[in-house]
Amino acid sequence: MGPHIMPDALFIGIAIMTVGSAIVALESRELVYGAIALAISMLGIAGFFLLLDSPFVAMFQITVYVGAVAVLVIFTVMLVRTQALFSIKEDRKRKVAGIILLLVFMGGIGAVLLSSGLSNPGFTKFNYPAIEVASIGKEMVTYYGPVLVLLGLTLAASVVGALALARREDIEQQNERAD
Amino acid sequence: MATLPEEFRFGNFLASIIWIVLIIVVILTLVVLPLIFVVLFYLPLPPVNGEVLTPYLFLSMIVDPSRTLPIIKFYIHQTPFRVIVFPGFVFAAIVAAATIFVERKFLAKMQLRVGPLYAGVWGVGEGILQLAADGLKVISKEIVVPSGADRPIFWATPVAYVATAAAVVSLIPTAPGWVASNTSVGLIAVFAILGFFPLIALLFSWASNSKYPFIGGLRALHQMIAFEIPFILSALSVVILAGSLNLTQIAQTQHAFWFIIFLPVSAFVFFISSLAELERVPFDLPEAESEIVAGWLTETSGMIYGLIQLGSYLKVYALAALFVILFLGGWHGPQIFPPQLGPTNAPTIEKMVTLQGFYNGETVNAVFWFLVKTVIVIMLMLLPRGISPRIRIDILLHTGWYKLIVLAFVNMFVALALIYAGVLGPGGSISIH
Repeated sequence: MGPHIMPDALFIGIAIMTVGSAIVALESRELVYGAIALAISMLGIAGFFLLLDSPFVAMFQITVYVGAVAVLVIFTVMLVRTQALFSIKEDRKRKVAGIILLLVFMGGIGAVLLSSGLSNPGFTKFNYPAIEVASIGKEMVTYYGPVLVLLGLTLAASVVGALALARREDIEQQNERAD
Repeated sequence: MATLPEEFRFGNFLASIIWIVLIIVVILTLVVLPLIFVVLFYLPLPPVNGEVLTPYLFLSMIVDPSRTLPIIKFYIHQTPFRVIVFPGFVFAAIVAAATIFVERKFLAKMQLRVGPLYAGVWGVGEGILQLAADGLKVISKEIVVPSGADRPIFWATPVAYVATAAAVVSLIPTAPGWVASNTSVGLIAVFAILGFFPLIALLFSWASNSKYPFIGGLRALHQMIAFEIPFILSALSVVILAGSLNLTQIAQTQHAFWFIIFLPVSAFVFFISSLAELERVPFDLPEAESEIVAGWLTETSGMIYGLIQLGSYLKVYALAALFVILFLGGWHGPQIFPPQLGPTNAPTIEKMVTLQGFYNGETVNAVFWFLVKTVIVIMLMLLPRGISPRIRIDILLHTGWYKLIVLAFVNMFVALALIYAGVLGPGGSISIH
């Protein structure tokens, strides 16, 4: 096994895992299985980042999407009555329309990719140095500093807003009386 | 004195011995040798004494003891050995098993009880075989799947639990260069993998189709998510001081000073958060046995319970080792092992006994100090179970979200101040690089 075959085999394996579990996530009748398949699909995307030599992004993909988003989705799904969601039978016309839309979309993306420089054989022979996380961090606090501050303020404001919305005054009063 | 049976004849005795030898030779030739060849075909073979190793040479070297050591030395530096045996699974599983026994005995002594007593051997080491007895019991018991349970998830999650714990263990270095997976983002990888545990607990509790496991699973989810943020933040101040996310480099930066000297508050927050992550007393709400039977483990039986127990004690080892690497200087300690066990120009047998060319004083020293520190931290993690009651869930959430996050920030500012004041870091007055 040469050094070039191994990444290709890994790439094909991860691609099958990612796409397959994404299809399961959409098609599964059992919502919890769909949510698990979604988590596996996100793990597959982390695998692509590892193959692309960016372990930092891969680890954050796992932390955020599997550790937080998938947990949230599964938690929500467990508290939902699944029968109510699937009582409506699928419409045949909608299915056909969906497939046609998908084909058009894929064709469009394929055309864009083919017309770009990717089909040029010289494109694959690039060797840029790997991007360092430290330099991204430096750029983030120097050139992009104001943007970072703005984003932080927005996030902080939305968290404060969420807390204000989630606050229930009746429970608060009950607790105070009990104390 | 035993008597011979009446039909005994010496000729029959000889014939039976020859028959056994013949069978052994046939099995060796037809089964064992081909198996060894198949295995050796896939293993990389080292060049030994200038000649390329072939399977025949390998077998003749196994017979010759003075040439066996180089082969063993070659194989213990291969990745499979590291993943499976030494810094990886088997080593951690042995530590975990020892932890289970020591915990029971230690808590018993603290509470003036006897603890495991009867499963001993030759009248010594009261109860030292208790673990083996428990293991056999757990393996031989029937696994009961509750009716209405989601079978695929119910079977898959305990295995996933052990596999996830083993993945955390594979990132922990025990000595310079002795780590199964030496990635540049080791610390983040540890937290990324720890993020799977609430998912597994929640799925298992849901799949059990029973009310107590589900309450326990929800509690596990609340608790782990509440303590994940202070957990990561407290490790972040170490990253600021060490300037690296690689666990080996973080340990090597502390060759002069342990980070617990500069970051005691972070170490405290990290310790408390890891207790919560491990679901140990006083944070054992997910398994609160006096309230919700056994929490999310209520429906476990037989080896499913055994696997989850193994996984959680692997986690104890992994988090204690992580604490040692981040705050207690990793494997650094005074050199107490000699660089060599015997003289270099000794006869072959003495070279064999003193493990010439195989023994490395520095590595043995590093592993020794690492184990000593890890065992002390594990004992500190076991200690609250003997002395502390369980805390209420609202106090737990309040501690996680309000107090520990603020405390973690306090020491991060201290770390930043030390760096910018020029005390630590590159070019600082105390050189830690």
